[in-house]
Amino acid sequence: MKPVTRRSFIATGSAGALGVAGVAALGSPISLAAADTPELSDSEAAALERPAVLSIRNARAGEVELLVDERSVVFTDKQLVARMLRAGR
Amino acid sequence: MSSHREAPGILKDPTADNTDVYAFVTPNDTVTLITNYIPVEAPGGGPNFYEFGDDVLYEIHIDNDGDGKPDVTYQFRFETKNTNPDTFLYNTGPIDSLDSPNWNRRQKYSVTKVTRRRGRFPRWKVIGQDLPSPPCNIGPRSTPNYPALAQAAVKTLRSGEVVFAGQRAECFYVDLGAIFDLGTLRPFQPAHLIPTARADGVDALAQVNVHTLAIQVPISDLTRDGSVPRDPMAREAVIGVWGAASRRKATILDDDGPPRNAGPFVQVSRLGNPLFNEVIVPLSRKDAWNASTPDQEKRFAKFVARPELAKLLPVLYPGVFPNLAAYDKDRADLLAILLTGIPAGVIDGFQNFTGTTLADELRLNVAIPPTAQPKRLGLLDGDLQGFPNGRRVADDVVTIELRAVAGATLPLVDDTFTPDGAATAIEDGTFPPNRAFLDVFPYLGVPYAGYDVPAS
Repeated sequence: MKPVTRRSFIATGSAGALGVAGVAALGSPISLAAADTPELSDSEAAALERPAVLSIRNARAGEVELLVDERSVVFTDKQLVARMLRAGR
Repeated sequence: MSSHREAPGILKDPTADNTDVYAFVTPNDTVTLITNYIPVEAPGGGPNFYEFGDDVLYEIHIDNDGDGKPDVTYQFRFETKNTNPDTFLYNTGPIDSLDSPNWNRRQKYSVTKVTRRRGRFPRWKVIGQDLPSPPCNIGPRSTPNYPALAQAAVKTLRSGEVVFAGQRAECFYVDLGAIFDLGTLRPFQPAHLIPTARADGVDALAQVNVHTLAIQVPISDLTRDGSVPRDPMAREAVIGVWGAASRRKATILDDDGPPRNAGPFVQVSRLGNPLFNEVIVPLSRKDAWNASTPDQEKRFAKFVARPELAKLLPVLYPGVFPNLAAYDKDRADLLAILLTGIPAGVIDGFQNFTGTTLADELRLNVAIPPTAQPKRLGLLDGDLQGFPNGRRVADDVVTIELRAVAGATLPLVDDTFTPDGAATAIEDGTFPPNRAFLDVFPYLGVPYAGYDVPAS
């Protein structure tokens, strides 16, 4: 199996651009089963330099809060939440 | 203390701990607004002397339409730099000017003014940038002629405000050790359930410093209609003031590099009237109060209407407060003083009423000019310019509030109540404080030097 990189995890688990910033909260690369993902664009990769945090607000509802810059974005992505929870086991 | 370390959460975060708020009319139709941070600074606390937080958003809010929400806000943001990476010292020689090469650890700050009008987007304007904050007062070798050094950090902005951000001598005074030793009050110590002999007050905050944000603003910048009201009875003459500090929602600590922050600012400290969170709000709710805003005050109004301290006094001092003990109605006097302002018709020629919205704000009637002979008990002694009409730096707010809670102000709103004799005799016992106030902006005294008052 192809090893999962930080970038691939984010691209896999994100809902569009919202997931890009989750990397900072998750820290080091995480091994996941689903790893077949596209690479990030240069601009998306540049965004990884900004501190950002993903926090699960409501696991059952798949509600996630993204903290980036001075903003908070709340969105729903049940698959992402499931992957994050599995990764944290 | 007024609001020093007053809640379980903020006591662990002194850099963001708002300790006192002052608001008073000053010459030339201006108001001076002051908020203090970092409680109980030991003057000798080096080599890492006290400083504002780069990661804290400091704000002074003004409500001019009585809805408990800010209409004008002044934001202060700091940036800290080391100029010499090779020393552990705060300074490597005398700091005789704000651009001295001997000064290693420097802070600069910006001031942003935010104005809000109903139905419109807020307007943000940076009114000051790269403003210097002076060093701490270290001692005669490191900071010679400190008064002049600090005064050089008083800056007049192009938009008309005068600002200062830096260390000052603590001006709040209180016998903390007595009050929190089961409510020991002077001169009634012998009448306490656990009696002790009478003794003079001990000022627990003598010879410590704080960090001050001060801004002097034209009155016309703060009133709802942009006027300079002359009639104290006019609605537009009253403004409500409070301070707040916020931190970013998330902080990431890495094993290399400085902490990184993400997300919006979340309020961690606020303060309007002195002692509100300290002695009105229960311990279990203090952190929630710090995170809330004045327009949400209804949730806490019951603690004002039936204050715990008013119930305790007759228990702690048997037979000393019989009328207070017998009073079983909501405290309309305290609700007015702390949450709505005092309406017209209660005190001749005075009001600082902002409407029926309950909100802890320091309410100031800007149409009442400065008096040449201020009285320490302010409004309680007929001095209309003193607390609880705003708050001046020398007002004896502890004694004023103790007397109010004990029933001294209740006859203003309930003529069936006769205060106990003790209610007008209570003293904090620490006046006159051992302080040297300034006659000019920023009014708070020169901070104590570490060489003279070393850390204990």
